[in-house]
Amino acid sequence: MLPAVSEMHQSQQLDLFPGYSVTQCLFKDVRNAAELRKSAVGGEIQGALINPSMIVVAANKAFHLQKVGKMKTRSLYSEVIFNLSPTNNISESFKKFGIADNDNTVLIVLIHSKEDEYYIDDIRSKIDGEQIPVELISTLSDVPKIKKLYKVTAQEDCVGTLLEAVLCRMAVKDVL
Amino acid sequence: MAAEKDNSAVLTFLRGLTLLKQGAEARVYRGEFLGKPVIVKERFRKEYRHPTLDEKLTHRRTVQEVRSVLRCRKAGISTPVVYFVDYTSHCVFLEDIVGSVTVRDHVNSAQRSETGRGGLEALAGKIGQILARMHDEDVIHGDLTTSNMLLRGRPESGEPDLVLIDFGLSYASALPEDKGVDLYVLEKAFLSTHPNTEALFDALLKSYTAASKKSSAVIGKLNEVRLRGRKRSMVG
Repeated sequence: MLPAVSEMHQSQQLDLFPGYSVTQCLFKDVRNAAELRKSAVGGEIQGALINPSMIVVAANKAFHLQKVGKMKTRSLYSEVIFNLSPTNNISESFKKFGIADNDNTVLIVLIHSKEDEYYIDDIRSKIDGEQIPVELISTLSDVPKIKKLYKVTAQEDCVGTLLEAVLCRMAVKDVL
Repeated sequence: MAAEKDNSAVLTFLRGLTLLKQGAEARVYRGEFLGKPVIVKERFRKEYRHPTLDEKLTHRRTVQEVRSVLRCRKAGISTPVVYFVDYTSHCVFLEDIVGSVTVRDHVNSAQRSETGRGGLEALAGKIGQILARMHDEDVIHGDLTTSNMLLRGRPESGEPDLVLIDFGLSYASALPEDKGVDLYVLEKAFLSTHPNTEALFDALLKSYTAASKKSSAVIGKLNEVRLRGRKRSMVG
């Protein structure tokens, strides 16, 4: 039985799609990453994320593209993962941001309507790990790694935060 | 999820936002998006254009705008962050620079006070520096005016941050002619909006010349373009 840990996850309403939200749950010491990868719920690699709003922005774009029928990948969750990447190479994005068999920190992302909230507990029960508050993502960030991954320049560091540099690339990469 | 394509989400969302202004090209809204203050720029359909042409032009302008924003950021120029682009409705969701004032308003109010005027030269120098950096990146803004430059207060350093906005008419070019024209557009806008600021603009150009590696060719072209302007005789 899972303890009542509902405060640890984070939900953000998708303003463009009223009634839908993005919920994120973070787990550490995950032992069944390989299994999770097969069911492709949407996990992300440790150290590559800065903070939860990165996911929200990626999820918004993915949901929008699904609605207009212009997704680049085959499913909504793979689209979220693809959106996190600074490049347009799909397989590369799965390698860098998708869940790997030996990951032990996993972030679960769910895009759902209000009625589907029960889904969350269902997914949570599938994770063999310990849930921790989503805000802790920022403590797991590997800043130099992120800077290298997104090719953030030194001058760019002066005009904004790392999060801003990443969000901008995520939004603009399809026309670069 | 419904299988039919539905691209009404953004347009519906826009109806709940505050319309800030409507230009010939786009409507600008202000609101909140995913917990952040945003500006949404909607390039609406122009019925007077042929539809295929309209679509191509509008799409191109949207693309150029966001590309230039990222290029400038990478070069260390402050611009709003792009959060999301909807290519079906041609809407760009940008960071709303809260607590900012346009350089235009700032210059106008500063000119009225003795102390204000002193700081203007430093500002002109800063603008020159930033434009030099932008042109060295081969980015042409295309619509340089003091209304397209914002001053955002930075509490830590005390000195305000200059943010360039509205890259809708921007494009990439290495040609000194294009850069010269870019500066010329600013000169015209500057001098007509802010009377008696010739010295200030001179200071801007001086700073540009010092900061840019390719400035001499650009200034040369600027002088040529000045001679070409309206009501200018091209004799001799």
